[in-house]
Amino acid sequence: MKYGSFIAISAALAMGGCGSTTTIDDYRPTTEPIEIQSHEKVAVLGRRDAGHYETDTSFIQCLGNQLNGLHFQVVSEHEFIDALYPWFEPRTAPKGIKRLTQLMGDEAVKAKVRAEGIRYLVWLDGEVESAGHAGTMSCGIGPTGGGCFGYASWDKNVFFEAVVWDLDDLTEEARIRVDSEGTSYVIGIVAPIPLISPVKSQACEGMGSKLRSYFSKEVG
Amino acid sequence: MREMTDWIRKAGLLLLAGAVLGGCATSASVAVEGTFPTVVSKPRDIHAVIVMDEAFRNYQALPLKNVDIRFGSAQVDLWGKAFRGLFEQVEVVFSRSEAPSGADLVITPSVQEVQLSTPNQSYLNVYEVWIKYRLDVETPDGVPIDSWFLPAYGKTPDSALMSRSRAIEDATVVALRDAGAKLILDFFRIPAIHVWMEQRLASTES
Repeated sequence: MKYGSFIAISAALAMGGCGSTTTIDDYRPTTEPIEIQSHEKVAVLGRRDAGHYETDTSFIQCLGNQLNGLHFQVVSEHEFIDALYPWFEPRTAPKGIKRLTQLMGDEAVKAKVRAEGIRYLVWLDGEVESAGHAGTMSCGIGPTGGGCFGYASWDKNVFFEAVVWDLDDLTEEARIRVDSEGTSYVIGIVAPIPLISPVKSQACEGMGSKLRSYFSKEVG
Repeated sequence: MREMTDWIRKAGLLLLAGAVLGGCATSASVAVEGTFPTVVSKPRDIHAVIVMDEAFRNYQALPLKNVDIRFGSAQVDLWGKAFRGLFEQVEVVFSRSEAPSGADLVITPSVQEVQLSTPNQSYLNVYEVWIKYRLDVETPDGVPIDSWFLPAYGKTPDSALMSRSRAIEDATVVALRDAGAKLILDFFRIPAIHVWMEQRLASTES
């Protein structure tokens, strides 16, 4: 009984320690919902031009999944950059509305965007950083068996920014920034027991929920 | 019975150790087979001949000891599509002698250098590939217009959980796509090409 209580208290403490804090800041020039018709599409893309990191592919997919199921279609990053090749490669992708306007001035690019039915671009930029590693764990294996003993923890910080561009009006429709941080643990009691803080999924859900609320109005 | 169990356990450990060491192998032979998307661009009214010889079509880079990357067929696909985005009429031939005299330009692309950076060298969790191309541009009569060096760069987003071969292939594909992007973006900005275009325009007007 005492042993069971010890395990339960340890687990509760550890799980409590896995909690994360997520902050979402957003900016929109208006409070009106973003207008999109059912035949129009939204593409979710990640920035690839920074030298030391690339926007996490799994986060881009996660955000795309968050937008799936609304009244419009979501285009994957791969599909979009292939359809518009070579204008959204790291070397050529527009970084601001000025360059986007210039790009959409090209008749071939404009016609392709229209043909694909893409109305909005969601640009994602950010990364996941791990820091504050603490504790030690040693694992061993031998002819009679193996196991891990010890304890390790680390902090995870997630920062992502999403910028929504309207490809019709060539304007910036919204900007959302999400910061999430939490601590993960691995406890080794023969088998390693990971207690991972869900910072990335929480950041994705937070950003997805915000974006869904913007696109909630169907027109036409 | 106990001896038998011990033997199976030892054999299992040996197999596991073999698999782990195999995963750490440093040699890689990579074949890049991908096809590339069609270029979104309005081609100019120019008839160009692209010379892609056997060496170019079967190109094999040896950027590191024990690493070879074969991307001949991939670069033929890429350059063919990229040039079709630049010029209205494109003919791809195997040798310079096959170039028809009625064309406006003859372009011969060649690979000058390929470099590879691995996580072991850079301590970054990515594989990086650099390809340096040279494009010899001349008239059908053989008058040189320019030799243009085109550097291209590609890297994997994150090589965690990727095999070495797969990571090198992915980085090479990104570098090839970058080469196509640079060609489309910069070809008509080359000063010598710009001058040639102006001379051509003047001669057709007069």
